[in-house]
Amino acid sequence: MHIAEGFLPPAHALGWTIAAAPFVVHGARAVTREVRENPESTLLLGAAGAFTFVLSAIKLPSVTGSSSHPTGTGVGAVLFRPPVMALLGTVVLLFQALLLAHGGITTLGANAFSMAIVGPWAGYGAYRLTRRCGGGLLGGVFAGMAVADLATYVTTSLQLALAFPDAQSGYLGAAVKFLGVFAITQVPLAIGEGLLGVLLFRVLTVNARPELERLGVLAPEPVAGAGSGAPSPASGTDGGEEDRG
Amino acid sequence: MSLAIDDAAWASAWRLRSPADKLLLSVGLVVSALVLPVWPGTLLAGLSAVVLALGPARVPARTFGRAVRLPLTFIVVGALTAVVEVGSGGLGWAPDAAARAGALVGHGLAGSAAVLLLATTTPMSDLLPELRRLRVPAAVVEVASVVYRLLFVLLSSLTTIREAQTARMGYSTVRRSYRSSGVLAAAVLTRSWDRARRLTDGLAGRGMETGLRVLPEALPSSRPFLAATAAGLAALAAVTLVLS
Repeated sequence: MHIAEGFLPPAHALGWTIAAAPFVVHGARAVTREVRENPESTLLLGAAGAFTFVLSAIKLPSVTGSSSHPTGTGVGAVLFRPPVMALLGTVVLLFQALLLAHGGITTLGANAFSMAIVGPWAGYGAYRLTRRCGGGLLGGVFAGMAVADLATYVTTSLQLALAFPDAQSGYLGAAVKFLGVFAITQVPLAIGEGLLGVLLFRVLTVNARPELERLGVLAPEPVAGAGSGAPSPASGTDGGEEDRG
Repeated sequence: MSLAIDDAAWASAWRLRSPADKLLLSVGLVVSALVLPVWPGTLLAGLSAVVLALGPARVPARTFGRAVRLPLTFIVVGALTAVVEVGSGGLGWAPDAAARAGALVGHGLAGSAAVLLLATTTPMSDLLPELRRLRVPAAVVEVASVVYRLLFVLLSSLTTIREAQTARMGYSTVRRSYRSSGVLAAAVLTRSWDRARRLTDGLAGRGMETGLRVLPEALPSSRPFLAATAAGLAALAAVTLVLS
């Protein structure tokens, strides 16, 4: 769920754009530096952005029988770090606004602040903390993805509360209302996204270990195995035919 | 695998108009929808976007109608939540609830229609080079272009794998659905890395050293279109000020 075009008053839309700008500019600088040093990382970063976009097309069954979509910000934060996600997330939000009618242009700043900045940073913090406390990779991924999802929706609720304070109970009452509608209902879905993360990383640790090591998610294995054939990350896993587009 | 809005953009009668011209018109309508009073300014801005899209730009009404409906759930739930009052006696409607909710829904729908006018007439590959003129760094525009080129390949992989999983009863229970979704996400992610690596190898073989420069299609700006945009937006503002 992103804030739709036209929904925020102009001053708020502008304010959130200014608030998100330093993070996005920082991300853009990081990406520019990376691309200058390794021109081939353009393609890897593009692949990461495309994956984040496509992840939102995966339906997650919820316990109540309905379904929802993962925000994908937690996976991105764990795999590619929050500064890069600030930029990639904003690019993905622009694509979602223009290809899926999801979000908007004037609300891009507000949506970037919740989904590309607060979500990834909160999720990454939870991931690092859980790993440092001995939670392991999967425990960290669960905490990171669930917290990133929830933090995104809590931020959106607070943005809406700031824009539309309650006539009687002010900002606090409005925050209670919007959190009740948009964030509390999200708790089971955040847990669902955490579970999806665990399942995703369980497969990745088997099929794409070299990539996880390269990204610094896993420490390199100390002892090299006997069979040193180049591992192929392009696993068909449970897949259908190979696409040849 | 394609996206309806993207298909409409490629097929639109305005496809060969300058992206900067269309951007100006769409942003003008978005700003009008946002800052003018709901009656009649926002309504007129939204209506103009719909008429221009379905009329001269020849966007299929079905595609446009479906796309406008997508943000509706958020707009309605958000507007209703905004006008419920939390008082000492529990929940109740704010005194001007209907008017405020109506205004929020109006701004939201008109704004969405104005953005869709741009989205359904301009493919992303025309729009992204325009970002360079807005001083977005070249590296960022290139990454965004790769996202656009890869996402359809990944969406098609996603659909194919999901079909195969469904045929194998992969989504028959909640437990299996989760397992299948996890495997699906992992397969799409590893495939995206594989694609990127193969593209890198291919480009390295052709001597890629300085980014992915391509010749942009020349889509010249039209003075009559710009004049009509300026006149239309000015008329919109004038009518709104007179009527309100």
